[in-house]
Amino acid sequence: MNDRVELPQGTLDLLILRTLALEPQHGWGISERVEQMSSDVLCIQQGSLYPALHRLERRGWIKANWGTSDNNRRAKYYHLTRSGRQRLATEKDSWQKLTAAVAQVLGPA
Amino acid sequence: MLSDLFFRLRALFRRGTMESELEDELRFHSERQLEKYLKAGLSRGEALRRFRMEFGGIEQVREDCRDARSVSLVETMAQDLRYGWRTLLKSPGFAAAALFTLALGIGANTAIFSVVYGILLRPLPFRDASHLVLLNETTPRVGDVSVSYPNFQDWRSQSHSFAEMAAVNPVKFNMAGSNQPENIGGLAVSPNFLPMMGMRPVMGRGFTPDEEKAGAAPVVLLSYALWQSRFGADRSAIGQMIRLDSQTVTIVGVLPQDFRWVEKCDVMEPMGVWATHNDSATNRADRVDGLVLGRLAAGVRMEQARAEMETLAAGLARAYPEANDQFGVNLRALREAFSGDVRPAMLVLLGAAIFVLLVACANVANLFLMRGAGRAKEMALRIAIGASRGRIVRQILTESFLVALLGGVAGVCLAIAGIPAIARLIPPDTLAGANVGMNGAVLLFSAAVVVLSMFVFGLAPALHATSGDVQLELKEGGKTTSAGARNRLRGLLATSEVALALVLLVGAGLMMKSLYRLLAVDSGFRSEHVLKLEMDLRTSQYDKDPAVIAFWQQTLDRVRALPGVESAAVGTAIPLTDNHNRTDITVEGMPLPKPGSFPHPDIHIVSPDYEKTLEIRLLRGRGFRHADQENVPRVAMVNATLAQRLFPGTDPIGKRFSFGNEPARATWMTIVGVLADTKMYGLANPARLEVYVPFRQAASNGMVLLVKSGQEPTALVSAIRGIVASIDQEQPIFRIATMQEVVNASVSTRRITLILLGLFSGLALMLAAIGIYGVISYSVAQREREIGIRMALGARRGDVLRLVLAQGGKISVAGIVIGTTASIGLTRLMMKLLYSVSPIDPATFTAAAFVLALIAMVACYIPARRTLGVDPLIALRHE
Repeated sequence: MNDRVELPQGTLDLLILRTLALEPQHGWGISERVEQMSSDVLCIQQGSLYPALHRLERRGWIKANWGTSDNNRRAKYYHLTRSGRQRLATEKDSWQKLTAAVAQVLGPA
Repeated sequence: MLSDLFFRLRALFRRGTMESELEDELRFHSERQLEKYLKAGLSRGEALRRFRMEFGGIEQVREDCRDARSVSLVETMAQDLRYGWRTLLKSPGFAAAALFTLALGIGANTAIFSVVYGILLRPLPFRDASHLVLLNETTPRVGDVSVSYPNFQDWRSQSHSFAEMAAVNPVKFNMAGSNQPENIGGLAVSPNFLPMMGMRPVMGRGFTPDEEKAGAAPVVLLSYALWQSRFGADRSAIGQMIRLDSQTVTIVGVLPQDFRWVEKCDVMEPMGVWATHNDSATNRADRVDGLVLGRLAAGVRMEQARAEMETLAAGLARAYPEANDQFGVNLRALREAFSGDVRPAMLVLLGAAIFVLLVACANVANLFLMRGAGRAKEMALRIAIGASRGRIVRQILTESFLVALLGGVAGVCLAIAGIPAIARLIPPDTLAGANVGMNGAVLLFSAAVVVLSMFVFGLAPALHATSGDVQLELKEGGKTTSAGARNRLRGLLATSEVALALVLLVGAGLMMKSLYRLLAVDSGFRSEHVLKLEMDLRTSQYDKDPAVIAFWQQTLDRVRALPGVESAAVGTAIPLTDNHNRTDITVEGMPLPKPGSFPHPDIHIVSPDYEKTLEIRLLRGRGFRHADQENVPRVAMVNATLAQRLFPGTDPIGKRFSFGNEPARATWMTIVGVLADTKMYGLANPARLEVYVPFRQAASNGMVLLVKSGQEPTALVSAIRGIVASIDQEQPIFRIATMQEVVNASVSTRRITLILLGLFSGLALMLAAIGIYGVISYSVAQREREIGIRMALGARRGDVLRLVLAQGGKISVAGIVIGTTASIGLTRLMMKLLYSVSPIDPATFTAAAFVLALIAMVACYIPARRTLGVDPLIALRHE
């Protein structure tokens, strides 16, 4: 538990967009997926996911449809729009630049 | 952008659907997560607990989702408004106090601003009005004078700074017909005058270029108002003839309704008609009444135009030294000419009104803080169950907004009622050229004031309400924790109220002292029981001097015979006005100066008894007699200033002088008397050189009839009207007033400024007193227990009283010190309104501080006395 990292401000959006780039997904699925992909290191306060989804939807980067989940229940599926895809690309780019720069400053441990 | 809008709209209109979708979405999540925990082997109870921990507060998440959709802004606003409305209704006393205070503050600002806007800011209804400039000539001997018509013609042909120029000469007419003959005002203008201002007659035609030349057929444009009153707005008026003076004139058009000029304009004639019967049109040395309107050429600034005109004037002075030596040009924006002299008073009053609003805001903030203390627990509770601090700030600001809005509406209503009273601040001449009242711009200003005051009085209490420690508030019911900070804030607010009130009080005090000193000035005459009536003999029967003299003599003889009349006289000018004829004089035997440096006194043509009627002191020699007539040697009186200036150390009686600057063509007049100086140009202005000549030796068509009576002078008006009508049926009498009214009008701007400043400072004083009272009484209530303990431990009532009074004392002393410092800086701005009082007059400052201290003490003492009634037993048991 102690190894889990709090999410830096603003990265939640990036993670959501990245997850949705793979396939449309509902909110719970996204939280599961992020945890999986980060090998359980990143911890999302699950509640904070939904405001973020609504915010991204308002910006027009993702869209939602109601569909049926794998266990046959009605679930709200989000998918990436075209501008969402562009957004992901630029966010990813700037994130990589940022981490590279920070890594360089910190130097080899 | 579009999708964003669509999303918000959908969210707004389909609020129910969105809410239930959110519900479904969150339920789906929680079910899946619980399933997951159960599968991992947790008990149902453990799973639920773990879920709550990892998910966070479900209500918080819902709220955040609404925020993210950001429609919630509108929704919560509506919610806040409803909630705010209910809380206000729940505490009507608080609401009424806050509303009343704000209504006064906002009302004062709106009313003053409406006048400021109408006079100083509202764009003039002319094309590119900011490029219109009014030009007049100046001479160091008297200051601003009119423009000689030939000089205007040279300016127009030689200047490059102006795209266009037009001459504007005020003219007067006697209009006969209908019931009572009237004297009306008009303008003789160059034909390009109206097009240059971007105006066209609403009916008929404007003037043609030919109508600038002398000999033009007599035509006029009617003002819209005259067209309505005199012709019942009948279109067939165009082409009709009216009689002005003795001339029959054709109406060719009607001026637009929004045309206005610095002076009242009932009719407008082309310059050619004026030039036909005015020698001044060709005599360069004549500066009768004319001004020049210019439109700055594109890209030319005022300073450039001024520089060019000065060069031009210097050239004209060299070319025509007889007429132009020592004459320069003055330029001012047309706007300034329209706003007259009231600008400084207006700005001071607007500043004062803003101060009143600030005091009102401080007071309302105090009310909010006081109420905030009672609601601390409620707020803490709301924060504890998940409301964000931002949400609470918004809630309180919404309540402030409601109060400000309602206060604003009430204030605007107050202002509408008050505007006519404040408009009396403006001399009628200036007011005629303005448009004062409620309008869009004024309402916009009031709206801005409402929003601004909402922040001024709402923000501090709002931020304060959320700054407390939630746990402590809940535990102790908000009595101990933030109460200290809140009291400090309230003390600070009360201090600023005292300071602001002091500044206003000092301002009012300085105005009062100025007005007092001004009215105590020796005006040189006595206004009591004197009536003035003006007449202008304009018809052709008065073309010859004997007819004019006969008319005045006959009028005087018959008025003097009226019962109750003590004395009567006619004169061309009366004190406290500023429209005088002046001319060069040559004193017999004096070394001849350059043409522009001859003595240039005002010339008053008066009848015998003039000085007796106005009780002007005769210092030496004699006044005019009936014998000073046409065929006897010419005589004159001078004022003390002229006697001193031109005949220092010698007796002026018997000395001779002549009008004009050519001794060779002199008609000598012998000085027979010296009159004391009178305040001819306003109480605050110094005396100038003045010469009096008898009316039988220098006939004047325009005169003021002065009648001194033993009783109420206005009772004589109808009798005098009867006398004049019996001599000449068609002779109008105008501007009838008592001299007392003339004196009052001359100080009316100052007087009304004083009244308003007094009103404002009284208001601020009252609010500040209420502020202090509130702070002290609240702190007494809060400290009841402490006081109880002190008294139980043996403190005497006097000690306790002193303790409470000290708090009020600190507030008032701090406020007075700050206010005095601020006043020293601020009163300089009202310098122009003061008369023989220093803006940092120590007596006024001391008196203001004393009054404020006294009132603050009373405001403290009343609630402090309540400590005397504290029963230690009850106060302690209460806990």
